[in-house]
Amino acid sequence: MAAKKGKLTKVLDHLKHEDPFSKGVAFCPGCGLELLLRFIPQVLGNDIVITGTPSCSAPVLLGQNNQSWHKLSYFGTLMTGAAANATGLARYYKKAGIDNTVVCFNGDGTAADIGFGNLSGAAERNEPFIYICYDNEGYMNTGIQKSGTTPYGATTTTTPKGSISKGKNLRRMNLALKMAMHKIPYAATATLSDLDDLAKKLLKAKEAKERGFVFLHVLAPCTTGWGHAPENTIEVCRRAVKTNYFPLWEAVNGKIKMTKEVKKPKPVKTYTELSKKFVNMTEEDHQILQDDVDYEFCILGGLSQLEGECQLPVSAED
Amino acid sequence: MSEVRFHGRGGQGVVTTSKILANAFARVGQFGASFPMFGFERRGAPVTAFGRFSDKPVREKTQIYNPDILVVLDPSQKASDLVFQGLLPESMLLLNDTDSTTRIKHENLKKFALINANKIALEEIGLAIPNTVIVGAFARMSGLLDIEPCCDALEDYFSGKKLSANIVCAKRGFEEVELFDL
Amino acid sequence: MITKAKEKTQIKVITGNAAAATAAKLACPDVVAAYPITPQTEIIEQISKFHANGEMDCELITVEGENSAMNAVTAASLAGGRVFTATSSWGLVFMYDAVLAAAGSRAPIVMVNVNRETPGIIAVSSGQQDMISTRDAGWIFLIAEDCQEVLDLVLQAYRLAEDYDIQVPVMVHYDGFYLSYLSEGVDVPFQEDVDTFLSVLKDQPQRTKLTPGEGLGCGSHGILGGYLELRHKHVSAMERSKEKFDQIDKEYEQIFGRAYGGQIEEYRMDDADVVLVGSGSMCGTIKTVIDEKREAGIKVGLLKMRMFRPFPGEVMVESLKGKKAIGVVDRSLNFGHKGGPFYTELKSFETKFEGSPMVSFIDGVANTDITTANVATMIDTICDLAAGKEVPEVTWVSYPEANDPDSAKVGGQ
Repeated sequence: MAAKKGKLTKVLDHLKHEDPFSKGVAFCPGCGLELLLRFIPQVLGNDIVITGTPSCSAPVLLGQNNQSWHKLSYFGTLMTGAAANATGLARYYKKAGIDNTVVCFNGDGTAADIGFGNLSGAAERNEPFIYICYDNEGYMNTGIQKSGTTPYGATTTTTPKGSISKGKNLRRMNLALKMAMHKIPYAATATLSDLDDLAKKLLKAKEAKERGFVFLHVLAPCTTGWGHAPENTIEVCRRAVKTNYFPLWEAVNGKIKMTKEVKKPKPVKTYTELSKKFVNMTEEDHQILQDDVDYEFCILGGLSQLEGECQLPVSAED
Repeated sequence: MSEVRFHGRGGQGVVTTSKILANAFARVGQFGASFPMFGFERRGAPVTAFGRFSDKPVREKTQIYNPDILVVLDPSQKASDLVFQGLLPESMLLLNDTDSTTRIKHENLKKFALINANKIALEEIGLAIPNTVIVGAFARMSGLLDIEPCCDALEDYFSGKKLSANIVCAKRGFEEVELFDL
Repeated sequence: MITKAKEKTQIKVITGNAAAATAAKLACPDVVAAYPITPQTEIIEQISKFHANGEMDCELITVEGENSAMNAVTAASLAGGRVFTATSSWGLVFMYDAVLAAAGSRAPIVMVNVNRETPGIIAVSSGQQDMISTRDAGWIFLIAEDCQEVLDLVLQAYRLAEDYDIQVPVMVHYDGFYLSYLSEGVDVPFQEDVDTFLSVLKDQPQRTKLTPGEGLGCGSHGILGGYLELRHKHVSAMERSKEKFDQIDKEYEQIFGRAYGGQIEEYRMDDADVVLVGSGSMCGTIKTVIDEKREAGIKVGLLKMRMFRPFPGEVMVESLKGKKAIGVVDRSLNFGHKGGPFYTELKSFETKFEGSPMVSFIDGVANTDITTANVATMIDTICDLAAGKEVPEVTWVSYPEANDPDSAKVGGQ
């Protein structure tokens, strides 16, 4: 499905800076992460400091020996303390009076699992940097294992199909909502089918980090780990939005607002049918996933309509 | 060198007592070292602190097993065998007690001193924290210090009204302590 | 310690922890990360107080755990800042991955570790086991004996860590409880003297800093030769740090009037027949007992280790060779070896001692007190060793049950 010409131009308008990455970097064909990684500095500028951890992003983001795939200032760190590292950078630059945009760029394994403690701590302290989680719903770099954001029913190498099991039998956590509940200046979800929305959120993030912590949760499908055709990466994202599997919203100081209304949400099956990771799900499993998606969307809808009923503290207003 | 063991309970300022005394000795060009030994830090739990005071630098970093001065801030421990453990002959004991008739006798004690430090503290600072009264009483009983360096030392721990009230506490401790030669 | 008369001093009676916090304040760090743990907590409380009163102009990060403390100061250090943090025991092992990363990235961090037991048995007690758990992390380890040395070592640590020729993180260790809470007189340096002492660093070439927009990175994958190159450079820098530390100690004396001897401090070693090797707060007690033994005609000396990483083997050999017997006191265990860690490492130099026999003493573990009586026992034992009597290779001084040769044979527990 080709996008309308006008819309395409609108996205390109946001790309005011050079793509700092070389061509032909070491990502799989159709990698959602690559598109996101190239997109960020083109919107935010090449003077960001980007931090990354061992993950799918590492081979390209962190370089080898004294060689690098890009021209950005970067800091390779540990999954356990990614947000604390970014804290150290941002705080030192603040002390030294150095203008900075620190982008702490991590997968869902770091953000939702092993590094969640320090992510939450940085949010609580309202540290002045942008944390971006590229969510490919599992540990893809180590060969496709389950994480806290892996959805119900998905097959991974640690939630394999067996004689008594057919995939992950737990519901995914809602990381973005958890982060919004930290009452940080800006939290948002985004994905690669809606680049205009993503670009606007990146720019808002840059502006909001002057007031403190920013969290962006970006759904970034993995062709290898999910088992969809490389050319379908964007379509997977699009259907994730259209089924309300991954709704697009933003929260300013914890106040939630939808940024894209889906008039008639499609059944979640239209999303799962594109990826082999859902192939072992029965009708019953799909119903469980659908119920979970509906439930989460209902909570989100409820929260976004609370304005007027719950008064935000004056201190939290813009 | 004098080796002093302090016995009290969390919240009485036992550790501060020994610190202030070490501070006072430093102010007259002598040397003091104090440290506490307690388990989990809780109000009301028994606390032991150690003080070494000398005209030469204090190098030992060990607990005190053979004290020549005992300071008991908590009257409930006054009959405890643990308090008297390892006491050297010709020693002194300073006791904080509300009962003015209390007299402590022990074969190794040559001097006993009694002070109702809680009462003085309540009158002067409104709290039953006996430590600064004890500092003054210790100076008088031991004869190792004048009251002035003790009052000067308080400046490192208190300020404003609290400082002046605690200086009164120390001075009253110095003046009101009862001494008994045994 | 040599003390020269000084025109002006300011003696403050403060704890070891307060001495560490005061030194940190005097070093004027840009970024401090703070998280509480007994017996270190007083340091970060004191720093928070300095910060709250405007006496310390730093970014104070009250992190949610020690792992974040180390990650934050590592990044701030690599961005170009002077940093400080402090920890102890479980806190040190909770930041272990970041401790390794800090050293690997050659971040010139200064951290205080207040020594406390760390093994699987929960113990709020003194012991150097936490230090031993991180000895191979690639940090420089310095150990203080008293509150004055805590303050002096923290300041010296900045000169060592941030020296252009070193750039290795430094951990300053001192005994929990016995020193962390000990109040004694400390000659607190004047700010202008500290500034002078540290100003040498400003005159050196500036280290590489991670600056926005400059297209520099750190934390790349080290592959084969690239990895080996960085490792070799790291090992070489640690070797260089030995002499550098001796030199810094001398420069410190010029300004502050105190010198300790650099990597090691020798006490009555010149004519000593037998020697105890020790570290930390036990050394004060050992010196007292040595003086008593000397009165009784026993020629005993102390070799105090002020540096444990890198291991000051060369100066120790120089100091110990030809002695009639050596006893090494360890405040920790070396699982897999019978003797303590210091003993086991010093043992590798044994052939250079010209025949001096060595024994190991384990004491001060789990808050057991290294008493004057214990030290006297150790000295008696090495005198026996010097006299050619049979002496056990390892003695658990405060736990005689361990010295029964049959005790190790009982299984099932």
